[in-house]
Amino acid sequence: MNPAFTRVTVTGIRQAAGDTHVLTFRDECAAAAIQPGQFCMLSPAPGASCIYLPRPFSYFRALDDGRVEILFRALGRGTRWMAGLRPGDSVAVFGPLGRPFQLEAGAARAVLVAGGVGLPPLALLAERLLRLERPPRIDLLYGETRGERVVELGGVLPPAVRLWTASEDGSTGFRGRVTELLTQKVWPTLDTPPAVYTCGPRAMLAALADILGDGREVHSFQASLEENMACGHGICMGCAVELATDAPQPYYKLCCKDGPVFNGFEVKWR
Amino acid sequence: MAVDLSVNCLGLEFQNPVLVASGTFGYGDQYEDIMPIRELGALVTKTITPRMRPGNPPPRVVETDSGMLNTIGLANVGQDEFLREKLPWLVTHRGAARVIVNVAGFAEEEFAEVAAAVGSAPGVDALEVNLGCPNVKAGYIHFGADPQSVRRIVSLVRSQVELPIVAKLSPNVTDIAALAEAAVAAGADAVSLINTLPGMKIDINRRRPVLSQGFGGLSGPAVRPVGVACVYKVYRRLAEAGMSAPIVGIGGIGCGSDALEYILAGASLVQVGTASFVRPRAAAETIEGIAEICDRQGVTAVTELVGAAHRS
Repeated sequence: MNPAFTRVTVTGIRQAAGDTHVLTFRDECAAAAIQPGQFCMLSPAPGASCIYLPRPFSYFRALDDGRVEILFRALGRGTRWMAGLRPGDSVAVFGPLGRPFQLEAGAARAVLVAGGVGLPPLALLAERLLRLERPPRIDLLYGETRGERVVELGGVLPPAVRLWTASEDGSTGFRGRVTELLTQKVWPTLDTPPAVYTCGPRAMLAALADILGDGREVHSFQASLEENMACGHGICMGCAVELATDAPQPYYKLCCKDGPVFNGFEVKWR
Repeated sequence: MAVDLSVNCLGLEFQNPVLVASGTFGYGDQYEDIMPIRELGALVTKTITPRMRPGNPPPRVVETDSGMLNTIGLANVGQDEFLREKLPWLVTHRGAARVIVNVAGFAEEEFAEVAAAVGSAPGVDALEVNLGCPNVKAGYIHFGADPQSVRRIVSLVRSQVELPIVAKLSPNVTDIAALAEAAVAAGADAVSLINTLPGMKIDINRRRPVLSQGFGGLSGPAVRPVGVACVYKVYRRLAEAGMSAPIVGIGGIGCGSDALEYILAGASLVQVGTASFVRPRAAAETIEGIAEICDRQGVTAVTELVGAAHRS
């Protein structure tokens, strides 16, 4: 569907872990059309807060009853405003926006690597991959800096998904980074080149690109990126992503319109 | 009672006084399903330079209090692709809306080059000359900061085209009215003000500026009082100098009352800019808002209000 700008009513907000929350609203048209990896721009009603620009968020869940869920961490001014929302409040939503993950129907294994609040699009992706005629075996690796931030995914992820959790403080799951979890625990179990999907902090994505580029055979490598945005659909040109090229002039794509999902081997990570 | 929103200006009829500002509406096509350009007084395109520009590295935008900073760096497709790929769509879909092409260069000759190329294309109603974009390195700001330079560039563009020319001026100067006088004296048919103001946001954790270029251009509601003051000042100075040139008001406009502040200060036309990022139909809401306020106040034609704040 073409993106739509609508005002919706918050139907729920719950704490998912620590400073992480899930915002729920009803948006039937979008819920039926959302593809994993797509995002929306959220903004307050005029005058309702000190927030001016809309904020981009990947969709976490799109439910059959028309509800849409956004998982976010209250870190800055915009997300703190969101954490203060209550059922009945009005917010503006513009979406669905962006190019989603490509569901690689031919891959027998899918490895999903989530860092922190990079989790939402991969949770949605896991569910959609299982709807394929020949669904791959799915391993979802989910890393956080601290165990208290780990979101409980029971009831969200289908049982067929193998969930691996890492925390850098070691209080939950594997002690260390999610990329170390991949190389030490998960990669040795793979019997066929996987489709790799990822979303998370840029440093984690860059580390993953290094790991996969170091002679490991993969079916594909798709990375969902984040950049500051103002408009969300290619007008402001604020969300440039530099791609790797031999040309002397830099080559940029727009995160909002050409992404947010890119071929991870084509991005200039550093 | 229907309010007459039409404006005769630059030798053109505008169906209403609301334009969308350069860089905030692309080339019109991306908004087509939400905010069709045929509803507008005019679309002002993203700045076109003679050659394609990739723009600056990220981060390019960041929110500030009641506004945003950007350092896009005049990223654009270049004049040839604009004429080949973008203008035909605009001409087909414009309806009664006017098309104004914003142009810039990195040397005085580049202004002439792009003006000549774009200004002779069918379907272009006017040129807006970008004399004050703060987002480009290598001292580009000086084009718009010095009346002599403004005079030279406007004269150069004037010599290339017969179309109406609007000179878009920077507020980052001691006396913007002197620039306006210089532009009109050199042949500009109108002035548009204001361009963005230079600003900076610093990340206190990383201890460095957020934007890749350090500085960026500030826009949004935060700059509206500056823009209104500039329009008021320029309107008065041009009148005192006996110079007749319409003013296009820009800066923090997102609704009818915002637009009317500029019109009362002396603007004949206004441009909605950053607000379109927040609400894609902000320009349409501004048109409706102007009509509603005029109707409530018993004003039959919006042109009655141009410069009215100077008379009451």
